[in-house]
This record gives sequence, structure tokens and C-alpha cells, in this order.
Amino acid sequence: MDLITSVISLGFVAQVLRLMTPFYLGASAANFSERGGVINISVEGFMNLSAFSFAVISILTGNITAGFILAVLINLLFSVVFGYFTVSLKINQIVTGVGFNLFIAGLTKFLLVYIFSSSSNTPRFEGLPEFTLFSSIPFFGLFLTDYITLFCFLLIFISAYILFKTRFGLRLRSAGENPAAGESLGIKIRNYRYYGILICGFLSSLAGIWMASNQNSYSDGMIAGRGYIALAAMIIGKWKPVNIFFACLMFSAFEAFEISLQITGSDIPSQLIQMLPYFITILVLIGFIGKTKPPAADGVPY
Amino acid sequence: MISKKNLINLISVTLSVLITVLIVFVFLLILGKDPFEIFGMIFSEVFADGYGIGQTLFKATPLIFISCGLAVCFHASLFNIGAEGQLNAGSFVIALTALKLDFLPVPIVILISLIFGFIVSGFFGIIPAYIKIKKDVSEVITTIMMNFVILALVNFFLLDFFAVESTMRTEKINEDLMFLKISDVLPFFDGSTLNSSFILAILAAVLTYLFIYKTGFGYKLRSVGFNELASKYLGIRTNGVILISFFIGAGITAFAGMNYIFGYKGFYEFGFSNNIGFTAIAVTLLAKNNPIGIIFSSLLFAILDYGGLSVNQLIPKELMLVVQGIIILSLLAVDKIVSNYFKEKLI
Repeated sequence: MDLITSVISLGFVAQVLRLMTPFYLGASAANFSERGGVINISVEGFMNLSAFSFAVISILTGNITAGFILAVLINLLFSVVFGYFTVSLKINQIVTGVGFNLFIAGLTKFLLVYIFSSSSNTPRFEGLPEFTLFSSIPFFGLFLTDYITLFCFLLIFISAYILFKTRFGLRLRSAGENPAAGESLGIKIRNYRYYGILICGFLSSLAGIWMASNQNSYSDGMIAGRGYIALAAMIIGKWKPVNIFFACLMFSAFEAFEISLQITGSDIPSQLIQMLPYFITILVLIGFIGKTKPPAADGVPY
Repeated sequence: MISKKNLINLISVTLSVLITVLIVFVFLLILGKDPFEIFGMIFSEVFADGYGIGQTLFKATPLIFISCGLAVCFHASLFNIGAEGQLNAGSFVIALTALKLDFLPVPIVILISLIFGFIVSGFFGIIPAYIKIKKDVSEVITTIMMNFVILALVNFFLLDFFAVESTMRTEKINEDLMFLKISDVLPFFDGSTLNSSFILAILAAVLTYLFIYKTGFGYKLRSVGFNELASKYLGIRTNGVILISFFIGAGITAFAGMNYIFGYKGFYEFGFSNNIGFTAIAVTLLAKNNPIGIIFSSLLFAILDYGGLSVNQLIPKELMLVVQGIIILSLLAVDKIVSNYFKEKLI
């Protein structure tokens, strides 16, 4: 199959929509945190952590449900600690985020070797159960194949609704735009910042779980910067759920294109194909967006 | 004289190292290991003889260079986490230049190679700085993306044009270019690969210290890092300062390759850096961005790195990565708590 036919096929479009799942979950996760005024660079680390804990707990217990629940809980636990650092102690959010990323990367590397005596990956395991309701419907059956992807598409509307139509969303945004004004109206700003971080932890755990489940194993470095690309997508999408969706779509299209290039075996050297998503991210940030405008109090401790 | 600020820094650094040791002790006990045995082995391996000490200093050398570069960036509040990519680009170019120009006199070849390496690493630092200035996108995201791009590019150019067949390395540079081994002068370090790069690294730390604290540009750089808006009103061209600091900071990271290329193997090898660019973040933070402090924190991490190898059969050497992470996090927390405490009690 040559490149052109593989790219214009319906299967390619479905592939793009499916591969968008971790990007959108990660971007949406970061968005909830930043709307509440906390820059969360450690989405990457949180995705890594949940992919690891889901795979390892599922393998060790033989129970996917236990793996899923515990992976989410572990992420929430780390989110509370992250919140304690950034909200309660008011430590620089970016440095904290990088610290968490390095700590989680080290911890997963160490435990991988310690538990499985392998520095590269876990044994294979059965991923999450398939979602079969749509499987007979022509196009949708191709990409709505698991519950997390389904949830991811619903999340576009859910997150827009929560952020802009509910009291919770309004208060969360006030924590990110003008915390002093919010506080004067009796909103407990710090609590809302914690809520934003916890939602971030939850959504990024789904992204990581999807990655491990999709690959049927955990391998070291499997997140490969997707958390950071998700942050870029959030910035390009100007912190708006629907715009973020389109930004993520662009990045997943490039990833699907990269996979097609690899499968069809073009003349382009493989290293250059692999760097495509990151290179594109840089190009997009340099060229195609205007000056970005984050929530006014984003990154400012309160 | 130790100023009050330095005293507070010293207290929080010491406390956070102690807390890290405590956490790691508990962690090891949970895993059913004997922490005293493991730490004992690490230190006895390092301090057993001249060889152990020499190897530890050898491992500290690239850390000192990279961390000095990071300190320049961090002082300007530029959180450069792309050292891993930058130093690989620079080191690759250092090796290539030394290979291509070896018809010139030895000191000139070395000098030109190092300058080229500096410029190339620095160039890759300019890109995230530009995006930060023009688009206000955090350098953390772009430097990470640049890591992936640079490593892929280096890998591509190396394998397709310059590598020795079926290896991941360049050819060996001329033997005359190799730096002096310290063990040739001081037999105490017999067998160790410690070389004159270490002395240059100490020199680099002193120069970086003078650059940051004693020059006009260093003042501007710290001013921008402290408060960008106020610096702008003072008439400092903040965008220019950000660009130049990122260029210099990223440029210095290239010298990490000096130790490996001129001092040890004689060629650039893909993967030689082994994530040392990330370790350097921990080193720099622990030194509170002070280049003189960096010498000491590099030594601490070199001890962990070299000693970690010796306990590998008891516990995977990746434990040291966990230690790095814990050091950063405990440092951040302790630092804040200590400085809050002193604000309340003393001021």
C-alpha cells in the first residue's frame, strides 16, 4: 500500500481520532489545572505514573479493574502532594512540575528493573475491555473501540460545560483569573486550585492508562513527550476545550502520518520520521500562533 | 564572612540532604534491604583508593560544566531542561571539528572545536528563547521538544554520514589531541580516567561565578530573573538578556563532551551522556544556582553515580534516579519552609 492511499483512507481518519485520546485527555487535564491558576508541567509525569501503575498492578494482581482503580488513586495521591507543594507551600509551579517529572521518571525506571528485572518493558497483559456497542456502525466502529476514547470525545462537551456553564467552573476560573476578587466574594481559592489539580490528576491518569492498555504493556519512556505536546496543544487551543480538540487533532494527525510513513517504508530516514511530532510542535509554536494569553493568574501562587 | 542569605541556604540544603537520606532509608527498609550495607558499600567503593576517588572526580567533571550552563539560565529564570539535547549537539560538533581540522596545531584545533561546540549548543538554546520572547510559550515545553528533535538529528547525521561502520560513534581523533591524564602526574590516581578536563571544569565554575555575580551583564541577568517587568523599566533590554543568557547557558553544556572526547575515549558516541543533562538539573538546584556550590553538589551526585554501580547486584543502580528526584522535591519543600521560618523569627 503506498503512502497516498493509506493517508486518504477512512482507516487513517479513524486512526487520527483514536490516537487523539491521550493528547486530548492530557491537554484537558492541564487545562483544568491552569484554569484554576496552577501550571502543571508534570502532566507528562502523571501520564507516565498511571501507565506504569496500571500495567504493573494489572499484571501482579491479574485484575484489570484493580489496576485501573489503583492507578487512578495513585495519581490522585500524587496530585494532592503536587497541590501541597504548589498551593499550600506556594513553591514555584514550574520547578515543582519538573521535579515531579524527574522523580516519577526515576521511580518508574527503578521499580521496572526491581520488579521485572528489565530496564525496557513489562510483560504483556490484557488491556481494558473493548467497547463493542458501536463496532457494527461503519465509521464510528473504527475508532470508538474502548471506553476511554468514548469518554474522551464526551469530555470535549463535558469540560466546556463544566468550565463555562456551572458555578464550579466559574469559581475555578476565578481562581485562575483573579484570585483576590474571588476570595473577596467568599470563594475558597485554595480549595478550587486543589480541585483543578485533582481533576488534572484524574484525567492524566486516564491518558496514561489508555497508553498502557493500547500497547498491552508498559515500556520505559513510552509517554515520549506526549504530556508536553498536550501542553502545547492546550496553549495553541487558547485554553478553550473545543479549540484544544482541534489542536490535538492536528498533533494526532501528524502521529498517524508518522506511523503510515513507517509502515509504507518510505525513503525518509527513520530518525527524521520519529522526530516529526516534536519538530512540528516547535514549528507551530514559532509560526502559526499569535502571542498566547493564559489565564491572568496562571502560575501565580495565591 | 557568611551572609545571612548564604547561611539560610546552607541550612536548607543540609536539611534537605538529610531528609532525602531518611526517605531513602525508609524506602530501602520497605523493600527489605539493609540501607547501612548499601550506603556503606557506596562510600567504601568511592573512598577505598585513588582509583575510586579519581573515577568520582571524572564523573563530576561533565556535571560541573552542564550545571554551570544551567545556572546561567536559572539565574535569568529560564528553566532550561533541554541540556541533554544541547550538550549532545555540541559534543558531536566538537568531535567532528577535531577530526576534520587535525592538520592544524594542537592547541588551535582544541580551541576551535570547543568554540564550534559552544556555538552549536548555544544556537539550540536560542530557539526556545525566541519562542518564549515572541509567543510567551514556556521554555520548559520547547526545550523538551528540542531534546527529541536534536537527539534525532544527531543520530541521523552520525549514522548516515560520520559513524564507524556498525557502531554509534565517530572515528577516533588524533592521539596528540588527547588531554593529559592526571594519573600520569599523580600516581595516586593510578588507572583512573581523570584528566585535565576536571581542572578546566573547576575553572569554568569560577569563571561562571564571576560572570554571574561580578559583571554588568551578570547583574542584568539576575535582575531579569528576579523581576522581568521592573528590569524593563530600569532600561534593561530584557529580550536581549534572555536570548544571550540562553545562548551562553546552552553553549556551556557542550563542554560536557570535552571530558569524554578529549579526556577519555577520543570519539563522540551516541548515548554517552546517559541523561546526565537531567541529573544536572538536580545538581544545579541543590547548589542554589551558585557555580561554586555546583562543584560540591556535582561531587555528591558523582559519588552516588559511581557508588551506585558498586551496589548494582544488591539493588538496581536506577535507585540513584529516585534519589535525585527526592533530593529535588525535598529541597523545594525544605527551602520554602526554612525561609518562611526565618522570615517570621528573625525579621
